[in-house]
Amino acid sequence: MKKNLTDTSRRNDRLAEAVIRIGGALVIVSVVWILVMISQVALPLFFPASAKMVASVKLDSSVAAKKIVALGVEDSGKAAFTLDENGSFSFIKINDASILATEKAPNIPAGANRIVSAESRGNSVYSLLWDNGSISSVKVELASAKDSAGEYSFTHEVVSEPELSFSAASGVKQSFARPIEGKGSVRVNLLADDRLQVQHQLIEKDLLGNDKRSDSTALITDPLPGKLSALTLDSKGHYLYAGTENGMLLRWDISEPDGVNLLDTVQASDRRHAITSLTLALGDVSIAVGDANGRFSSWFPVKVAGSGEDKRLTRIHTLRPNAGAVKNIIASPRDKTVFSTDSKTIYADHLTSERALLTIKPAEVVRQIALSPQGTTLLALGDGGKLMLWKLHIPHPEISFSTLLGKVWYEGYDKPEYAWQSSAANDDFEPKLSLVPLVFGTIKATMFAMLFAVPLALLAALYTSQFMSPKLKGRVKPVVEIMAAIPSVVIGFLAGLWLAPLIDKYILTLFLALLIVPVPLLITIFFWKQIKPASALYKIMRGNEFIAMVPVIIAGVWLAFVAGALLEPTLFAGDFKQWLYSILGIRYDQRNSIIIAIALGFAVIPIIFTIAEDAISNVPKNLTAASLALGASRWQTAWRVALPSALPGVFSAVMIGFGRAIGETMIVLMATGNTPIMSLSLFNGLRSLSANIAVEIPEAPLNSSLYRTLFLSALLLFVFTFIINTVAESLRQKFRKKYGRY
Amino acid sequence: MKQFWKTGEPYVLATGGTLAIILVMTITLVGVVLSNGLGYFWPRELIKLELKDGSAALGQIVQHEKDPHLGGKRIQLKVGNRDLSGQDFRWIDESDIVRKSVPNDAMLLERREHGNYFGFLKAVTAEGIPLNVTAPLDALEQVRKIVEGKQTETENRKKEMSNLNVDVERLRLKLLKLEYGGREKNASEIAELTSLREKKLADFSKLNEKITADQAEIAKITAQFSDITGAVKDIAVIDIIAAQSPNSMSLFAKSAAYLERIRELLLDDPRESNTEGGLFPAIFGTVMMVLLMSLFSLPFGVIAAIYLREYARDGLMTRIVRIAVNNLAGVPSIVYGVFGLGFFVYGIGGSIDSLFFPERLPTPTFGTGGILWSSLTLALLTVPVVIVATEESLASIPKGVREGSLALGATKFQTLMRILLPMATPGIMTGLILSMARAAGEVAPLMIVGVVKLAPTLPFDLDFPFFHAERKFMHLGFHIYDVGFQSPNVEAAKPMVYVTTMLLLFIVIVASSTAIYLRNRMRARYTTSTF
Repeated sequence: MKKNLTDTSRRNDRLAEAVIRIGGALVIVSVVWILVMISQVALPLFFPASAKMVASVKLDSSVAAKKIVALGVEDSGKAAFTLDENGSFSFIKINDASILATEKAPNIPAGANRIVSAESRGNSVYSLLWDNGSISSVKVELASAKDSAGEYSFTHEVVSEPELSFSAASGVKQSFARPIEGKGSVRVNLLADDRLQVQHQLIEKDLLGNDKRSDSTALITDPLPGKLSALTLDSKGHYLYAGTENGMLLRWDISEPDGVNLLDTVQASDRRHAITSLTLALGDVSIAVGDANGRFSSWFPVKVAGSGEDKRLTRIHTLRPNAGAVKNIIASPRDKTVFSTDSKTIYADHLTSERALLTIKPAEVVRQIALSPQGTTLLALGDGGKLMLWKLHIPHPEISFSTLLGKVWYEGYDKPEYAWQSSAANDDFEPKLSLVPLVFGTIKATMFAMLFAVPLALLAALYTSQFMSPKLKGRVKPVVEIMAAIPSVVIGFLAGLWLAPLIDKYILTLFLALLIVPVPLLITIFFWKQIKPASALYKIMRGNEFIAMVPVIIAGVWLAFVAGALLEPTLFAGDFKQWLYSILGIRYDQRNSIIIAIALGFAVIPIIFTIAEDAISNVPKNLTAASLALGASRWQTAWRVALPSALPGVFSAVMIGFGRAIGETMIVLMATGNTPIMSLSLFNGLRSLSANIAVEIPEAPLNSSLYRTLFLSALLLFVFTFIINTVAESLRQKFRKKYGRY
Repeated sequence: MKQFWKTGEPYVLATGGTLAIILVMTITLVGVVLSNGLGYFWPRELIKLELKDGSAALGQIVQHEKDPHLGGKRIQLKVGNRDLSGQDFRWIDESDIVRKSVPNDAMLLERREHGNYFGFLKAVTAEGIPLNVTAPLDALEQVRKIVEGKQTETENRKKEMSNLNVDVERLRLKLLKLEYGGREKNASEIAELTSLREKKLADFSKLNEKITADQAEIAKITAQFSDITGAVKDIAVIDIIAAQSPNSMSLFAKSAAYLERIRELLLDDPRESNTEGGLFPAIFGTVMMVLLMSLFSLPFGVIAAIYLREYARDGLMTRIVRIAVNNLAGVPSIVYGVFGLGFFVYGIGGSIDSLFFPERLPTPTFGTGGILWSSLTLALLTVPVVIVATEESLASIPKGVREGSLALGATKFQTLMRILLPMATPGIMTGLILSMARAAGEVAPLMIVGVVKLAPTLPFDLDFPFFHAERKFMHLGFHIYDVGFQSPNVEAAKPMVYVTTMLLLFIVIVASSTAIYLRNRMRARYTTSTF
């Protein structure tokens, strides 16, 4: 039995040892796992886009024989449709190119035989220009459904849009038609003699509620700098863009039926190549311009210096060039991505981030390209009648290192800027995710807090370890440790709801306090000198000086209040903040950097104090004793012997406090205005990386760009505090080893 | 004098001054919280102010201040009656006041909605209820008692309804599961459970109707009040939570009211979007989460500390583990929250959902924040505290004890379990208490992984399986943030926030002081042993 007992205990011992070793390793695993997990979510931001070819089929000869004017594909990539010049829609099943059905376009205008061109207005709506100059509008609905066996079934319909139809006109080469919300429609014609004609069809309700139609036609009489080579109209029928054969880009405002204004004439192609393709990106603000040499850029109106409030069309982004002349540009229906083709290659680029997303080389020369309604599938029709289909995966086109860290020229802005604005009310809003304002805010808050906390904490630590009597030390240190235990949400709440209004009211007092509080201190110093050494008072006070300092400080603060109350009405006309604004031009926000400096400093002081005091106290007593024995006063010993020896420990204390201040969330969330601005002023708010995560992540859609960017900022915080903490800890270890402590 | 400066004594005083500044700041912080928080409970007098323009105002004086624009003094008066006048507070210049008086019969009502009411009782309308007193005040007391009695019946019915509700929900989830498994396969069971569910729903609505009818009856019992301007308002007696005449209360009565308010704070549920009422769910949630967190962090922390102190050889591995512990301590808490969201909530929670609760998708069960994920996240956050405290206590045990035990033939594990850990228990307790205090105050990670403004149920109740790990909960620290910064009416909610802050501060300070005391005693015990 004894042997069994020994065996059991030995087995338990080995088992326990294994478990304990695993436990120790688990600590390392946790840290590494946190890093890995956050990177796993953050790094896909930078993964490249991909396009997978899923089908390449030859069109049925009956369809391929006729000239195809329009092409469309459905999101699942299983069905597509074509429109030929006779007005027949053919619905095609992709995997075997079989024809599902053929439908004739509804409401073909009288006397029309052939479609000259079909313009896609997005959302599978097409305006058809017929040979007699009339326009009809159709919407194609193609949907697929997958049943439980995995088989696809398709529904298709072609619906006519009667509101947007125009009667016949003669001599029309190219035509655009747009509905005007609530008012009617507008049509722009390029006539055979290369003149532009604007036709408005307005339906207004008169006083009795009847519809009143008014038609108006206007010719654009502005002299054109060259022959027109490209035209496009925005979706509201407001602005007309034209490109010429000598590379000029023109913009007209055609919204008023009785007057057409030429707004801009700019040189779009500096080598004077003909503009071959114009398309507006999502949101109708930016226009993508492609020329005959393959150059590709985007423009939008911007306020320029010297033109006052007027906006001039300016080149914003220059994208990578196409190899040949840009034949066609289509805009993605989801974001600012544009697809351009020079017939041999299809390029996908993102306008704002200037990222080259995809380069697709199809097997055949491309005649037409089309995107599915959700922008997930790309269809191309080749010259030899081949239909090629790609599934697109472009998860985060607007993010790149330069958009996160550099200045970006966002749509509607006058110049490139750093901006953080993750959401807005409208659908075609472009999220502005730049980390620079947040990093700036973090550093600003931390710097101000350290400026406040480090002198206070270090000098107090010096006093506590070198001059304070041991009995008092035993009482003061627990108070500071309790100060360290105060939750940051409490500090933040008091800073935001008590301190901020208080300082708002008494800002002058705060500035005066910096000048006035030393005065009672100097008075006390004078009277201190009078205390004779070896007197009873001296014996009591030595080591307990700080007890006498408490009423001195309180007296100083009270004096500052009194002075503020006296000075404000006389010197600053009763309102210091107003004086700041009118004389110095400084705007005062209630929750500003002063508050955050005090609050964050308050949170960080106990940490710096504890570690610094520990370090200074660990300086061997023989050093300080020797200094005192050689005749140095206690201050000279502390300042010139103890403090320099403890410098590594003090430095690591400051670093650990710095690390804590960088990561602090609740205080910054509650005590600042949370505005992501970049301003060095003491009187403005800020937004830090950590507060930004806390504010934005509950609303961020899973795995969206915003979500991943927030994880990226968490990764930045992690890496940064890792570096700071490791360096600080190794310094501390070195210091301990140097002085031989445990 | 110059000599005095040369010795550096003035600088000593200056550094003493910096320490004084730090201590004054701390004491100011605690003082502000206490003064604003403690005053919340004391029933303040209602002051009637008659103004120069003939009108009058009745309310509690909140603060005096100097008007920043005109220079004179002015008073902020809490006038209540939010539903009548639209504002809770009024600023009145002292120069406008003709007379200040303290009317004895002024009453303060705490109501279920619209905040406090200040006014005078006129009459009590209670049809069909025999009252044997004539004075309106006594009538009000009696009627309130009767209404309270009727309420117990309603409370019982509500409890029954709650049980029915739980059953109905459980049946719905069971039905979802059966339907997911195959409608034709389980058709008979589905039909059976569906009819059972319908029956319970019918019972539920019957009880609901009865309660509604009862409430309509009770609501007819009203009391007529008039405010200081003379406007008459009928307030249903059931909406009155407390009625006091603070001006005519004796010191004893006021103390009793004080204690009653403390009881309400600690044991009642919150009302009016957390700006009034009690903190019970928040306290309960915080305590539950802290206990659950200790369940995870204590074993992990103690084992890691034992490894570092007893089993690790001085070398690269130990250095790496120490660096890892240091980093766990230094990582910002929001990064833990983000990690908890990505890994625990969406990663593990999402997998649990698709494995065990696929029929409930897309409504998440574990794939959303909850008390389990919050506790795990905070356990990871507070593990370094436990590790450091345990390590310190193990280090302070003299080496001779270990050697003696090994010499007597015990294995390392036996030494650990029977001698070292019991001796180190005060240190482990210190670490545990410090980690609990830290967790009670951490808000940032919790905001992301499972705390809510108002939780309809507690994570621990009497329905099987008793502990619901997927439920969201309320937390004291988050309560402070939410009520202070996301309330519709922050000024009126401020007293509540101060009280919550006071409670949280009290818990944290008591816990920290206990931990420090234990640690000092432990140090004293071991520094003197010689072996």
